[in-house]
Amino acid sequence: DALLACHRFYRSRPTHGIGKFKYLLPKEVPKKKKEKVQMKEIDAGTEYQYGDVNIQMTSYDLCLVEHFAQYVHRLCNRLSIRVNESYAMPTKTNEVLFMEERGSKMQLDAVLTTHQRVVQIRGLSSTFAPILLEIIQSNQPEGVHLLMKQHTEADFKSRLKSRPELEELLAEMS
Amino acid sequence: PCRAQPKKKKKVDVKKEQAQKERMKKKLKKLEKAAPELIPIEDFITPLKYSESNRVRSLPTLSPEETERRVLLLKKWCLFKQKQDEAEKKAIKALVESQQEALKELRLESEELYEAAIRRDEGLFPFEREGPSYTPPLPGYDPPEGKCIDITKVYTQ
Repeated sequence: DALLACHRFYRSRPTHGIGKFKYLLPKEVPKKKKEKVQMKEIDAGTEYQYGDVNIQMTSYDLCLVEHFAQYVHRLCNRLSIRVNESYAMPTKTNEVLFMEERGSKMQLDAVLTTHQRVVQIRGLSSTFAPILLEIIQSNQPEGVHLLMKQHTEADFKSRLKSRPELEELLAEMS
Repeated sequence: PCRAQPKKKKKVDVKKEQAQKERMKKKLKKLEKAAPELIPIEDFITPLKYSESNRVRSLPTLSPEETERRVLLLKKWCLFKQKQDEAEKKAIKALVESQQEALKELRLESEELYEAAIRRDEGLFPFEREGPSYTPPLPGYDPPEGKCIDITKVYTQ
């Protein structure tokens, strides 16, 4: 009666559940493996192609940097340049103090946060690289510092947490 | 007495050293098994004070003329931006085409120069450029003395 009372009448029909098939498939146990942060192979690039290139954008203004990073990513998508990764580097906080020279020497302060976004590109051809640089430069917003360089292992390791215990043990062992 | 005592010291020391080394190796293995973690980025964590329900802004009601004016302005801005974007795409295409034509002509001229032009420029990277600023630094400005302290939180695993 509950089936007939609701507005969906077809639940009482014999054709109810006709399209179901998932109960026939074998049950998959969900995998609970933590993805290990492994370094991907760094492409060195051939003579006519640059390998892995990092476009790093740094600024004090968070929204501006994020929007610019999104713009660069979409630009590379549009120009069919392969984008490996697009990530954010940890923020750096600086406390600025200055000496006020009017009688009592006080130190006023301001707290500035520096944000950095990285877009990693692979397979940039040597003829197209200066054009891409021109486009990015002409669209560079105010206060955003642009840096383009080859990707190295040191760049990847700067994103990881430091392990002082491991380093101490390694130093003691050797 | 002189012979017996140093022998005992040597044996005990060697055993202790070996035991210590094994312990260190076991510790190393344990630490190396744990995968390295990425530093958490503070930008993506919204501070708790912004999720409080007290912060609600009451916007003023707009008259229909005002809303219509705003909508029309938005449409004009969209059109302007579209024209700008199309002009940019056109410029990029023209650049690439002219580059390809120039390279073709160069190839007809001499193969060596063409090969040298196609090669990648090692001096291009690293490339650095500061963004344009609203207020560039004044030439004769004497800033007050001060210092910058880096107070970023250091994460250890």
